[in-house]
Amino acid sequence: MPLKPDFEPVLFKNRRGDRPATFDEYRQGGGYEALLATVGKKSPEEVVRMVTAAGLTGRGGAGFPTGRKWAGVPASAPYPRYVQPNTDEMEPGTFKDRILVNADPHLVIEGIILCAYAVKAQRGIFFIRPSYESDAQLIERELAVARAAGFLGSGILGSDFSFELSVHRSAGRYICGEATAQVNAIQGLRPNPVKAPGAHLTEAGLWGRPTVVNNVETLASVPHILTRGPEWYKSLAATPTGDGTKLYCVSGKVARPGCYELPMGTRLSDIIYEHAGGMLPGGTFKACLPGGASTAFMPETLFDIPMDFPSLKAVGHHLGTASMIVFDKNTCLLAATINIIRFFVRESCGWCTPCREGLPVILDILERIEAGEAGEADVAWLETMTRQLHHAYCAFAPGAAAPIEGLLRHFRDEVMDHLDGRGCPFGAPELADKPGAWHLPKGGRP
Amino acid sequence: MSRKPEEASCRLTIDGREIVVAADTPVIDAAERLGIMIPRFCYHPALGAVGACRMCAVKFLDGPVKGLQMSCMVGARDGMVVSTTNPEAVDFRRQVVEWLMANHPHDCPVCDEGGHCLLQDETISGGHALRRYRGPKRTYRDQDLGPFVAHEMNRCIHCYRCARFYQEVAGGRDYGVLSIARRTYFGRYEGGRLESPFAGNIIDLCPTGTLTDKPSRYRARRWDLERGPSVCLHCSLGCGLTVGARYREVMKLEARLNPEVNGHFICDRGRYGFGYESRPDRPRQPRVDGRETIAGAALAALAEGLKPFEAGKVAMVGGTRSNLETLAALLGLCRDQGWRPPVFFRDARLAGAAESAAAALSGDLVASLADVGRADVILVVCADPLAEAPMLALSLRRAARRGAAVLVLDHRPCDLPCEAERLTFAPQELAGCLSRLAHAALRGRKEAAAYLSSLPLPPDLLPETALALDTWGKRLAEARFPLVVCGTDQAEPTLPALAGGLARLLAGSHDQDRRAGFLPLLPGPNGLAAALAGGGDLEALLADIEDGRATALLVVESDLLSRTPEPERWLAALRKLKLLAVCDHLPSPLLEAAHVVLPSRTVFEAGGHFVNQEGRLQRAMPVFSPGLPMGRTLREGHPPRLFMSCAPGSEPRPAADWLKDLAGLLGAGGRAGDWADLAAAFPGLPGLAAGPAPENGRRCLPETAPGADAPSVAKTGSPDVPPDHLQVLLVERTFGTEELSCRAPLLAASAPEPWVDLAAADAGKAGLAHGAWLLVPLPGGPLRARLRVHQDMAPGLLLLPRDPRLLWQRLAGTGVLVELLRLHAITAEEEPAGEDTTLEAEP
Repeated sequence: MPLKPDFEPVLFKNRRGDRPATFDEYRQGGGYEALLATVGKKSPEEVVRMVTAAGLTGRGGAGFPTGRKWAGVPASAPYPRYVQPNTDEMEPGTFKDRILVNADPHLVIEGIILCAYAVKAQRGIFFIRPSYESDAQLIERELAVARAAGFLGSGILGSDFSFELSVHRSAGRYICGEATAQVNAIQGLRPNPVKAPGAHLTEAGLWGRPTVVNNVETLASVPHILTRGPEWYKSLAATPTGDGTKLYCVSGKVARPGCYELPMGTRLSDIIYEHAGGMLPGGTFKACLPGGASTAFMPETLFDIPMDFPSLKAVGHHLGTASMIVFDKNTCLLAATINIIRFFVRESCGWCTPCREGLPVILDILERIEAGEAGEADVAWLETMTRQLHHAYCAFAPGAAAPIEGLLRHFRDEVMDHLDGRGCPFGAPELADKPGAWHLPKGGRP
Repeated sequence: MSRKPEEASCRLTIDGREIVVAADTPVIDAAERLGIMIPRFCYHPALGAVGACRMCAVKFLDGPVKGLQMSCMVGARDGMVVSTTNPEAVDFRRQVVEWLMANHPHDCPVCDEGGHCLLQDETISGGHALRRYRGPKRTYRDQDLGPFVAHEMNRCIHCYRCARFYQEVAGGRDYGVLSIARRTYFGRYEGGRLESPFAGNIIDLCPTGTLTDKPSRYRARRWDLERGPSVCLHCSLGCGLTVGARYREVMKLEARLNPEVNGHFICDRGRYGFGYESRPDRPRQPRVDGRETIAGAALAALAEGLKPFEAGKVAMVGGTRSNLETLAALLGLCRDQGWRPPVFFRDARLAGAAESAAAALSGDLVASLADVGRADVILVVCADPLAEAPMLALSLRRAARRGAAVLVLDHRPCDLPCEAERLTFAPQELAGCLSRLAHAALRGRKEAAAYLSSLPLPPDLLPETALALDTWGKRLAEARFPLVVCGTDQAEPTLPALAGGLARLLAGSHDQDRRAGFLPLLPGPNGLAAALAGGGDLEALLADIEDGRATALLVVESDLLSRTPEPERWLAALRKLKLLAVCDHLPSPLLEAAHVVLPSRTVFEAGGHFVNQEGRLQRAMPVFSPGLPMGRTLREGHPPRLFMSCAPGSEPRPAADWLKDLAGLLGAGGRAGDWADLAAAFPGLPGLAAGPAPENGRRCLPETAPGADAPSVAKTGSPDVPPDHLQVLLVERTFGTEELSCRAPLLAASAPEPWVDLAAADAGKAGLAHGAWLLVPLPGGPLRARLRVHQDMAPGLLLLPRDPRLLWQRLAGTGVLVELLRLHAITAEEEPAGEDTTLEAEP
């Protein structure tokens, strides 16, 4: 389905090919008008109401309603309160935040300030992964511009609203993208996720104070909601279950990999064929990960599914970060899974047993299957362990389980083809860098 | 004292059995109460639930929570139906063990934990036997964590107990979690001795052989040990210990849970303070005039020798490290024979302070160590918790972590593992400062008028100091549970009474459901009983011996010659005695001077009762029969083929038995020495009448302390310190000064180098730098020691530890002053090679 003729990009409105939009360019395009129309003119409660009415869902992967999160800061909560924009973006295949920050830094900054206004926060800590150093510097530079313009600092726009934002560079671990782990990381503690029954970051986060952690894509949507209204924002989506526009990242075996802003709920087939230029010449679609490495493989049968949170949930999948990694028929999905699980084995924070000890055991089984060293009992054990990953401490191990579950659910025959000495039908590319683990006879598999 | 209204309780079903518990009790604890031990690794009642190991998974069949959940992380709620045996839960737990064992080295036969290893138990009981994992195993590099803790990381199952204890409970910074994922490592940034004085607890906490007790490594399996409950004697807190002995030698001490005292933990002074019982130089044979003899002959000689003496000329010295039975026998002997009352304390100041602390204590006011953790405003007066009673420091940290405010008024640079406000004053100013604080706390209270009028005048204070004291006074008055801690080791005699009086009035200021607490620190494990027994002090006794008013002396378990600042004067006085008898198990120069030596048993062999600073009667059980450690009787690796009716070196008898037999020989009384006699010896501890101590002890104090409301305050004499002079104060340290543990080979070999302390202002005046070697001109000769300079210490003082490795006895007197400018740093060439600083008096 092609885009509606009147579709105009929202988040990528000021995106240029060569450089970030400047403050002046952003202002000319109506930037900071939302802030001017809000600070001192709308009550914080009104802002929360509008964001709630727009149905804005969190773009970091969980799809939690943003308005509800903000409303979770109790009116009587102590000060200072914190906003923690999350640009950790460690999910493999995901690069939308980087492109967004690079396209229009002031859109992000305005969104953060509006969030701070809504939850009455005094401090913002912009958490960014260390490999985005140039983006961190860009944000720091543009923060100074915004400060000079009076949009940041004490008494913003002559009101009694004061807000200061600084950039915190992560030490660079996947788990730092998890909100509670990120709170620990900023406080100088080990970035272990924290799960206490009934505890919410919006009540006690950074240094025990209310803290709102939002993905930057979520926050960047806020200025538009405030200027053009929740109804307009909702109408942008392609489906009634979606909200606004979404940055879809497409990578893998497609002709034009990249980040595309499309109505939330655009069909997978349209994203791949209309926007990403279709499969690479000679390739045929086999499967894709719909939302980064921690989601399950989606087979061809779901090729026409609308890509929004509820639609995917209905068929047992997750939109995650909406980062499609596309595989063609010449790819061994087992090898792809091994690649992913190696990442998760390395990135586990080491807190709980299933994740720390279970994932390496699972990786070993996967590698053995790929090498043809496994039998049906191993697959059964793999399936059991994968199921048991769901009883881990946080969502990391269940995320790691997802691609394996997709593999076993939709591509079981392919897995079984590897067993009992047969090895990888595609040529075992994933074992080339693992010398010494197995004794493969020269010139062939056992 | 009334508690808050009954907490909401709830009824849940676990494996078909109903139980009612307080809401939010972890389900794992609720099950334990039913006798169902859900497997666990990371959960520990003292550390709380963190859900890391996933071993305690159970199935919730009905109620507000459903499905497979960790029983440590779910609080009990009404209507929960829990199955611990559900196949899904069992399968998951089995898988967790398999995962944990995937990298385990399978080295149980050479692992010291084997036999009391939680991982071994869970692996075997879960049925995991064959490893399905075929991949390469992880290998860690171990670290040298110092003399006490052995590190074997390959056995680690990453339960995080050690790091949680070390950092959260003990406030240590040098040990923790490093790296992530499969490589997660528990250790230090670099190998090296663990800095926390509570580090040994990680051995008890570790559920595997990763952290084991280094001194006892490879010396005994758990089932080889003779084990028994005991009480720690290294300060007045009386922490619970479990003794493990083998081959007539203590192998190791472990913490014994006593909820109201030490909880699950002990300090390293308590854990490694043993070993004095198996020193080669321990007296084991009765001696008369230097010749070894048998028990009966020695006793007869002593009884015979005592007969010619006029009763008033016989003096007895007792020790606060003796058990209650010994103290009772000693008191009974003095009373029945009409001898002078026994002496327990080194000088009049300490005796006065201990007695005034004891008089201020009563059942309605006294606070246990666990109470410290419950208090919300805590005042510590004239106490250095980490040095005098280390576990108190841990309790203060627990309170501080729960939000309590802590104020320390002391002259020493008290090092605490928690946030605390420090105000430093000279020791003689402390009573005045307390007075200022009490006035602020009790302002406008009619019933406090008598108390307030009895207080000394506050010294001249800086305005900000006065303001701080007033603020803290108000905080105490407004507190929900204020608590006053007062030391006796350095305190003026009246100070504990003032502190206790303040606590008593703070308690009175509260509504019915509020309370206040008083926790004095007393000298020695039986310091309270000794203080209640009264008596004189050693300084006065020394004068009496010199004047010939005392001519016979019996010393029972008191190391007076090694503990006095005037050893030369004592030696001269002892030579004047016509009879000196010593009953002890510690080697000391006193034994050489004695006419009669009666070797006594240590607490490990004799057991006995001890009354700690909160009046809690506790019992140590005899754990093994005395005798030379087997290791010392071996000939060419084999025990000698001698057939005897007793073990070699088993002559020592409990000190109480020696004294009772002596009383029998002396004719008078000849008491049976039963419990009633013991109780009668201590009228200040009425609870003794109820009989020997139950498992976790029993408080024996009177419910109220008559006359404690209005302490009589004597004028305290403050020493006149001329300008540019330093007052030399003898102080305690965590390691190296306490009477018993300074004889412990393990601690002696590893205690940090002794040092002296100076305030930064004084050091600046004298041009002395932190870390310099210092030559201190003392009356008995110069003393060399390393200097530490502190910002948070009262000026005008030189703090000198009673550490046998320092020549502190060259002090040759009390109240010694040294001229500041006569202190000087030693140049590099003059620095001692080491042997110069050790005391050659060790026999």
